[in-house]
Amino acid sequence: MRRHLVAMLLVLAAPLAAQQKIERRIAIAPDASIRITNMAGLTRITGWDADSIAVTGSVAPGAGFFFGGRGQVAKMGVERRDETLAEPGSTLEVKVPRGARVFVKSGTANIEVTGLRGEVECVSVSGSIRVEGSLKLLIAESMEGNLNASGPMDVVQLKGGAGTITLRGARGDIMASTVGGAIVVTDGAVVRAHLETVSGTIAFDGSVDPRGTLESVTHSGDVTLRLPPDISAEFDLESFDGAIVVGLAGKKPDREKPLKGKPVSFVTGQGGSHVIVRSFKGEIRILKR
Amino acid sequence: MNCSELRDRFDAYVAGTLPDAESAAFESHLDGCLACQEALALQHRPLGAVGTLPRSVAPPADLWPGIARALASRRRLRGRVMLPAWLLAAAAELLVAASAAGTLLLLRRWPPVHPSVQPSSNLTALESQYSAASAELTRALEQARPRLAAGTVATIERSLRIIDAALAESREALARDPGNQGLAQLVVAAWRQKVDLLRRATELGKAD
Repeated sequence: MRRHLVAMLLVLAAPLAAQQKIERRIAIAPDASIRITNMAGLTRITGWDADSIAVTGSVAPGAGFFFGGRGQVAKMGVERRDETLAEPGSTLEVKVPRGARVFVKSGTANIEVTGLRGEVECVSVSGSIRVEGSLKLLIAESMEGNLNASGPMDVVQLKGGAGTITLRGARGDIMASTVGGAIVVTDGAVVRAHLETVSGTIAFDGSVDPRGTLESVTHSGDVTLRLPPDISAEFDLESFDGAIVVGLAGKKPDREKPLKGKPVSFVTGQGGSHVIVRSFKGEIRILKR
Repeated sequence: MNCSELRDRFDAYVAGTLPDAESAAFESHLDGCLACQEALALQHRPLGAVGTLPRSVAPPADLWPGIARALASRRRLRGRVMLPAWLLAAAAELLVAASAAGTLLLLRRWPPVHPSVQPSSNLTALESQYSAASAELTRALEQARPRLAAGTVATIERSLRIIDAALAESREALARDPGNQGLAQLVVAAWRQKVDLLRRATELGKAD
């Protein structure tokens, strides 16, 4: 019995013993382009006020870590024999200059990015992606994972699949699309926004620039827009087999009964913004914040 | 040419006014940079151009074939025909072209001024271009399949089924109400989702 217990402990301890700790650092330009690949585990990137990249973490047993670059470019990542496996995963904690342009590729690994102000692109198969900061450009894609972005970013392009897209404090131009996942925008102040999903729902809570456009398209998902009660906008709403409810009090038309199968167009205030919602069979609700 | 330099030249490239050397450098970078492919598609989406497009000019029906021919001939001249990159570029270019067409559909008065109008030949042409791109990308995805995890393949197939069902439903409704611009927009949106999903799935299967 005791022999079995010892053998079991050795088996359990073996992978831990094989974990490879890493700690590396190189000098790099403050606006360098940095490419990071880690297919399984976690990649956490943090912006800092130093002209260097510092990497710490642990690399999974059987995997190798590569890291190189100077001046304007750097590349690092974890290589495994079979990139399609979810386990074992590696953890990379990477500090990069705040103004760096960063590209991160993942399979199942989750990606977290904070404190950057340049351009970030994250691509994942099934991992979640979370980005916080004041970026010039964010591009993020995940087939299955959730996408979560917060902060006043100039241009945001998020493409999901089954996962949910969540945007907080979005400013500027937004493009978000999913197949089945929901799209949730809170505290938005958008100039141009295009939100599109096939079967997911869309929920927007925020304002639209006086000359801006907010367009939402779904096939079967419901669309709920919560807008300022005093918004000046031209509305074009259409759901071919879903109800349309307009709850902007004091505006025309102020419908108590849902309209179904009929396009609804109206202007509030002096117009200016353009709000477009199109759905095949989802319900459309325009409500005041 | 880096990403920033390339993005400064988007408009000149699309307008065809970029000098040959810069154009070659532009395409060389674009071949290998997904971010710039996406940024190019994004910048030339209707959102970016909505303020400048006319409200009543129809897009040329043969827009995509011309782009495809031009791309193919330029790449042949440089002896660098690479199928996966071409497919990705094709998908991006098609998205740009389709978005422009979609914008023009969108910018017409809504509800349609002439509800009895038959579906435009532009939509038919656009659908056939999407269909061709979809078929090409599906073949590329089959080649990439061994490099994708079984769970990922299952997710992609599930998503494609959702999109195909939406596409079929929208097309069926459009067949019953052929002049409905809103339905035409939904058909275009479903195609756009499908081609984009296939492009992304193919990209995931590419070796890093």
